[in-house]
Amino acid sequence: MATPGRSARSVLACGEVRTGLLPSFQALDGRAAAQLLRLRADEHVRVSERPNLYALSPEVLTGVDCRLPTSNGAKVRGVGTVIARAALTEGRVLQSTAYFSAPADGPDVRRPWGHYLVRPGVVEPFGKLPEQATADGVLRGGGRGDLDLGMISEGLLAQLVRHPLLDHKAPFKSRRTHLRWAARRTPEGQEPALDRFTLAQDGLRTVELRVPESIPAGAVAGLCEDLALHDWLLTTVVHMLENSRLGAADGPAAVLALRPAVDHLLHLWMPRAHVDRALGHLWDVLEREPGFSRQWENLRQRIRDQLAIQAIPLLHQALSTR
Amino acid sequence: MLIFAASDKGGTGRSVTSANLAYQRALTGDDVCYLDFDFGSPTASAVFDVPDARQAAEDRGLHSYLIGETSEPVRIDVWADTEHRVLRNQPPGAGRLILMPGNLSGGEFATTGENLRRCVDLLLRLNSEFDLIIVDLSAGRSYAVEMALMATAQRELSGIEARWLVFHRWTRQHVEAAAGLVYGKRGILAHGVASGHDEDALRGAIRFVRAAVPDPDSALWSQATPTQSAWMEQCDTELKQLASHHGIGYSQVLGSVPLEPVLQWREQLITDEDVLDSQIATMETWQALSDLAARLTDDKYWEEA
Amino acid sequence: MTEAVFRETTADPGTQSVPLAHLSLELGHLYMEDFEAGPERLREHFAEVRIWVDAARASAARRIGGKRPRVSTCFLIDDYFSRFSTPAELIPLVLEEAERAGVVIDYLARESGCAVADRIELAESVMHRLVESPPPGSHGSRPPVSQTGWLANGQRTSPNRSALAEIVTWQPPQETAARNHSVFMDVELWSETDKGRLWSCPFLAAVWQLARLGLLRHLGEPVLVPKPWTGGEFPQDWDRLPPLLKLNDSRVAFSAYRTCTLMANRFLAVEDAVRLILDQVDVDSEALQQVAKRSAAEGVAVPEAVAQRATYVFYEEPANPSSPDGS
Repeated sequence: MATPGRSARSVLACGEVRTGLLPSFQALDGRAAAQLLRLRADEHVRVSERPNLYALSPEVLTGVDCRLPTSNGAKVRGVGTVIARAALTEGRVLQSTAYFSAPADGPDVRRPWGHYLVRPGVVEPFGKLPEQATADGVLRGGGRGDLDLGMISEGLLAQLVRHPLLDHKAPFKSRRTHLRWAARRTPEGQEPALDRFTLAQDGLRTVELRVPESIPAGAVAGLCEDLALHDWLLTTVVHMLENSRLGAADGPAAVLALRPAVDHLLHLWMPRAHVDRALGHLWDVLEREPGFSRQWENLRQRIRDQLAIQAIPLLHQALSTR
Repeated sequence: MLIFAASDKGGTGRSVTSANLAYQRALTGDDVCYLDFDFGSPTASAVFDVPDARQAAEDRGLHSYLIGETSEPVRIDVWADTEHRVLRNQPPGAGRLILMPGNLSGGEFATTGENLRRCVDLLLRLNSEFDLIIVDLSAGRSYAVEMALMATAQRELSGIEARWLVFHRWTRQHVEAAAGLVYGKRGILAHGVASGHDEDALRGAIRFVRAAVPDPDSALWSQATPTQSAWMEQCDTELKQLASHHGIGYSQVLGSVPLEPVLQWREQLITDEDVLDSQIATMETWQALSDLAARLTDDKYWEEA
Repeated sequence: MTEAVFRETTADPGTQSVPLAHLSLELGHLYMEDFEAGPERLREHFAEVRIWVDAARASAARRIGGKRPRVSTCFLIDDYFSRFSTPAELIPLVLEEAERAGVVIDYLARESGCAVADRIELAESVMHRLVESPPPGSHGSRPPVSQTGWLANGQRTSPNRSALAEIVTWQPPQETAARNHSVFMDVELWSETDKGRLWSCPFLAAVWQLARLGLLRHLGEPVLVPKPWTGGEFPQDWDRLPPLLKLNDSRVAFSAYRTCTLMANRFLAVEDAVRLILDQVDVDSEALQQVAKRSAAEGVAVPEAVAQRATYVFYEEPANPSSPDGS
C-alpha cells in the first residue's frame, strides 16, 4: 500500500524494536490481546490465529522535528512522523517498534504540518540526506537531541504496560532487548538482502538490510520484529539455563528454574510465521550462520533431557513399589 | 519487590547500608537494581566504587530521566565497572547488580504529572527485570520520599510489593526523629494516605533499621570499665523504652547494624574479604547485614505485629 | 507471485468506501440564542445564506469544468451545549423558513452526533488520532495530547522548571509555521465536568468537517450514515432524532470532496481553531486514499492536506429585528 501523499521515493528505512515478556501472570488470549493493543478506538487490531496467536496494533504517529543521528557528525534536520506499533505473540511476548522512511532530499524549509501528516512514517531531511551516515547513526544510537526511536518505542511500550489488564506478576524475570535496524533502498528488481546481524552489549542488536523500493517499510519492520522475537527467545532461555546452573545446582532446583521456559517459551519458536513473503527468505542467512534454529533445538533438547533425567528416580520409585 | 530506604537525618548510614543489602542479595543469586534517588548528594558511585558513574550520570542520571531530559537513565553494571579489587570478580551464582546513579547536580522537581508517570514507568520496567529494586531516598521529608509515596499509590504499581526501611541511629534524637518521619504530622504515613495509600497496609510495609548501634558485648568495648558497661546497658534500656513509646519498638524493627568503623569511615561495601582476610570489618557486621538482607523478603518479619 | 491460499479476516480487515459528492454545503450554524430570537431571525439568516449558496454552487461548477456539480446541503442544530424546544417544534420551523428563502436542506444533523453517533464515540476516536505538530527540537519526547487537553500551533511559553533553577524571564510563545512573526493559538479540546468530558465547540466542529469530507470510519465501517426521514412528525426528544437525517429524496451524497460552510462572522475564531485541529489529525489512511483515487479519477483532485479541503463564507451577522433595543 502506498502512502496517500505523493512522496518522493524513500532511500532509507530505519527502526528500533523493543522486545520483552508481557508483565502478566497468564498469557492473554486473542480477545484480551486485541483489547490491550487497541491504541485507537476506531481501528482494528489485526489478530491471527494461524500458525500461532499473533496480534498487531494499529499504527500511531509521533511528530518529530530534530537532528537525525549521523555517524560522521553531519547535522541534518529532519521533519515528519515516526510510526509506532506493537505486537503480541502467543499472548506472551510484547514488542513495540518505531520506524520511519526518509527520501534522498527535501526542501530547506519546514512545510505546513498537514503535508507531513498525509505521509505517515516519512521523515524528510532538510537538504540532502547522508544515507550511509544516517543508517550508521541510527544503528549506533543518536546523541542528545537527535531523533530517538528508542524513546518512541519505549513510550509506546510503557503506555501498554500500564494497561489495567496486566497484573505485573510475570512468571519469571527477564531482560528486554533492543534491536535497531536500517534498510537501504535498492532499485526495483534487486533481491532483498540481510547484510549484517550484530549482537552487542546490554541487549542491543543491530541489523543492516538492503530492500527494494517496492516493499513497504512496514513489511521490513515486520521482518525485524520476527528476528527480534526469536533473538529474545534465545537470549532469555540461554540466561535461564545459565542461572539454573545445570550440573552445579542439585537436580530438582535446576528443573524448577527451567520450568518457566517449558511453560511459557518453548512453544514460541516459529520463524517467519508473520513475515511478508518477499522477505521470509532473509532468515536463511541466519539459519546457515550462526544457525538460530540449531541453537534453539539444542537448548530445547538440553531442557528436555534434564526433565527426563529428573524423572528417572520417580520411575524407579514407581517400578520398585509395584 | 521494591525496597525504599528512608531516613529522617543524614549520617544514619542509610546509603551505605542499603547498598550493602543490594550487594548481599546479589551474592545470593538475585538480580538486584539499586536506584540512587538521593538527589543533590548522590553517593552510590563512591559506595560501589564506580568512579566512571559520576561522569556518566552528569546528564543521564535518574534526575534527568525523571524530568524527561533523557529516555534511558544510565545503568552501571557494578561487577563489570567497579574498581573495587574484590567486587570485580562476580562470584559464580551471583545475580546481576546494577546501579542507576542520580545526577551530580539536580535538585528539587515536581512530583506530579509527567515526572510521576516516568517514575512509575521506570519502576514497572525494572520490576519485570529484577528480583529486587532498592531505592535510596534523600533524607527527611524530601521530594524523593514524596515521589516514592505517590508512585506506589498509583494503580499500575498496586500489584507490586513495596516495603519501606527507615534508618536511624541509636540515639535519643534519632529515635524521635525517625518516629516523627513515619508517624508525624507531615510524615510518611500521613503523606501516603493523602496520596491514596491504605493506612494499615502502608504501616505494615514499614520497618525500622537501627544503625550504628554500639554492642556492649562486642570486642570493641571489652576494655570498658564496669561503670561504663553499666551505664551503656542503662542507656540501651532507656532507648528501647523510648523507641517502644514512639511506636518503633522491637516488633517494628527489621534489624540492627552494629557500630562499625568500616561503614562509618570508608562508606563502602563490606566484602567477605574485609571480614575474613584483612579482618578490618567484624563478623558481627557481616552477619547483621546478611540477616537484614534475608529479612527483606522474608514475610515472617513483615507480618502484622 | 501467487495469491495466498489461507486468509484470516481478523488479520486483514478492510475499509469500506462512502459515496461522495463534489461539495458539501453547510447552510449555517445556529445556536440556542438564534432560535430564541424567533422566526424573523431565521428568515434573515436564510435570506442572507441564499445569496452565498448560489455563489458556492457556481464556484463548484467552475471547478469541475462547467458541468453540473453534485452539491449536497446540510444544516447543524446544537443540542450538545444547550437544548431548546423539541425537534417536533423546531425543525418544521427551520424547514419552513428555508423554503421561504428558496433554500433546500438535504441533510439535518444534531451536534451531539459529532460526540457520539449510534453509540460510537466519534469525538473520542478523533482525539486518539491527533498528532501534534512538533516544534523544532522534538525528537520523540513530547507528551501525547490526550494528557493535556490542549492543542496549539506552536510552542507555548516555557513551563516552570525546577524550583531551584534560576528565575527565567518571560519567553513569548512561538508559532511553528510563523512567517517572520507568530500568530500563536492554543485550543481547548475538552473540559472535565461532573457529568464527564465536555468536548469543545471547535473540536466537535472538526469532527463534523471530517464527517462531511467522508474521512471518518469506525473499525472500517462508515459512521454517521444518514437515516431517511419517512415524513410525519419529528420526535419530541432530541435524543430520539437520528444524528444525521436525510430530509428529501436527493440522490447527492452527504459527504463530499470539499466542504463549504456559510456562517456569521462571529464564528471566525472557532473555525480558525477547527483548521488548527484538522491540520493535526492523522486521518484513516485508507479513507484518505479512497477519496484521493476517486477524486483524481473524476478529474477534480482534492488538496493533499485535509484542512485545505474546508472552505468558508463568513457574512455579517443578521440584524435581530425582534430584539428590543438595548437588551
